[in-house]
Amino acid sequence: MFASRRLGKELTKMQGQLPPGITLVEADNLENWLLDIQVLDANPIYAGETYRLKFTFSQNYPIEAPEVVFVKDDTHSIPWHPHIYTNGIICLDLLDRSGWSPVHNVESVCVSLQSMLTSNTRKERPEGDENFVRYNTQRPRDINFVFHDNKV
Amino acid sequence: MKVTIKEWNAVAAWRWDMPDDDVCGICRNPYDSTCSKCKFPGDECPLLLGECNHSFHMHCIFSWLKQESSQEKCPMCRQPFKSKSQDATAAGAEEPTQAPDSSPI
Repeated sequence: MFASRRLGKELTKMQGQLPPGITLVEADNLENWLLDIQVLDANPIYAGETYRLKFTFSQNYPIEAPEVVFVKDDTHSIPWHPHIYTNGIICLDLLDRSGWSPVHNVESVCVSLQSMLTSNTRKERPEGDENFVRYNTQRPRDINFVFHDNKV
Repeated sequence: MKVTIKEWNAVAAWRWDMPDDDVCGICRNPYDSTCSKCKFPGDECPLLLGECNHSFHMHCIFSWLKQESSQEKCPMCRQPFKSKSQDATAAGAEEPTQAPDSSPI
């Protein structure tokens, strides 16, 4: 199996050491993992907050990108960002079919998301957030995002 | 004194001519090991070096390149992935189709 051997390796490495601000919360199986990320610099939008990410892997990972969304629960909110919808869906080329590469991994995705938040100064939702959240029935990987905005 | 050798067993080790600690960027297994689908390392699970000088297990890079989303680009540098020795690609790609022909009828 492609995914299981590679995920096993990633898990062993991540149980050893992870970059600052990234925590492995749950990896009981090879389909869904939970990780927490924090933004460690002084960005006032995210200071003191911990955000929870849910990774979903297909059997073809890492040839196929993992599905990665922010999770909302009692203790975790969805971070403000012009590319993160209220339902936790993230618009990032790295996670899209067109931008994914099999040399990425769970850790590098977390680091990319950390840096996506760190560099953001706009406490906003994407344009059309309300409609998207209400009507979207597609899984994140099936949505054809248009990556028009490289500024944030 | 005369020594008579009755039997001997030769043991040999081999490795790909690659840096020691390197792993395939796709499966993260060492180059000397196999891709995630093979059991035995060696000629059955060879490496493929691209013109961009990035190498992968042949099976790993083929799994990636046959995905439409790869746009046939190298996973490392996103340049079009072309095998440095065209023969290796051709041989690897044709292997499955040639196999049935070679079996005697």
